[in-house]
Amino acid sequence: MLEAEFERRLERLFADAPELPDATAFAARVDRKLDRGWMARRWLIGAAGGAGGVIGASQLMMTNIFTRVEDASESARVITSSLGQVRSSPDWMSAMTGGGSVVWVASGLAILAMAFALRRVIEEI
Amino acid sequence: MPGATKSSPASLHDVELCALAAAGQRQAFGELVRRHGSAVRGLLRRMGAQPAEADDVAQDAFLTAFERIAEFRGEGAFAGWVKRIAARAYLRRLQKERRIGALAAENVEEEERAPAGDSDGRIDLDEALKGLSPAERLCVSMCFGAGLSHAEAAEALNLPLGTVKSHVKRGLEKLRARLAPAEGAVLEGRRGNA
Repeated sequence: MLEAEFERRLERLFADAPELPDATAFAARVDRKLDRGWMARRWLIGAAGGAGGVIGASQLMMTNIFTRVEDASESARVITSSLGQVRSSPDWMSAMTGGGSVVWVASGLAILAMAFALRRVIEEI
Repeated sequence: MPGATKSSPASLHDVELCALAAAGQRQAFGELVRRHGSAVRGLLRRMGAQPAEADDVAQDAFLTAFERIAEFRGEGAFAGWVKRIAARAYLRRLQKERRIGALAAENVEEEERAPAGDSDGRIDLDEALKGLSPAERLCVSMCFGAGLSHAEAAEALNLPLGTVKSHVKRGLEKLRARLAPAEGAVLEGRRGNA
């Protein structure tokens, strides 16, 4: 019992830590370090997002995707017309084979979505 | 600005400050650092860290606490939570610098060091801790200052549980002798008068 009492007393003594004279300076140092980490993180995420966007966009342009999509559209058109000989094709099939402009609009929307998501991430962090 | 005083960080409870900090308000976290910085640094010094080292570790502990603030559920005191983070960080540092084995092996020349006391022979905790071996000091501080159980301390120190228990037991015996030479009689009288 005395043992337990002494242990409680010891816990209280440990909890009663005196205020150190440079407590405010210490808190200011932690604040500054938090600020630095914060700014570095924002820059890092911004830079990573920017780099990712540029790489993604350039890859989209460089891989000749539009030509391939147009080829695919052409193939689809051939298939559609073949199917049309068997039975009449629905109207929406022709809308899908409209050409490269759809791809431009889609990639524009993708870039917009990416920029929006990036902005949200930066705001959240 | 109405309500400015009410929402000033200094007037808020730790749990409220933690919630604000978790929502990204660093000003609220700054207040927590101001409130508990000395306690965390004090604990590290009591564990045996030099003042500069204690400050470094405490700083890192607060940064870690800010990153993990969402994990703090307010079930215990914020100060206790940060102290545990700091104590573990200090141990990791000791292990990294391979100082922990040396500490465990080292024994203080306890009889050579006679801490200064008052007229009744009573001394404060910091002085009393100086009479313990580094391992005893570390174990006692972790269990009674950082609130770790013996098993948690053993795991953090990477020592057998029995070793930690015996360090704590010996440390407590020494502290009891140093903190209350008259076996509590004088202290009890003082506490009553305080």
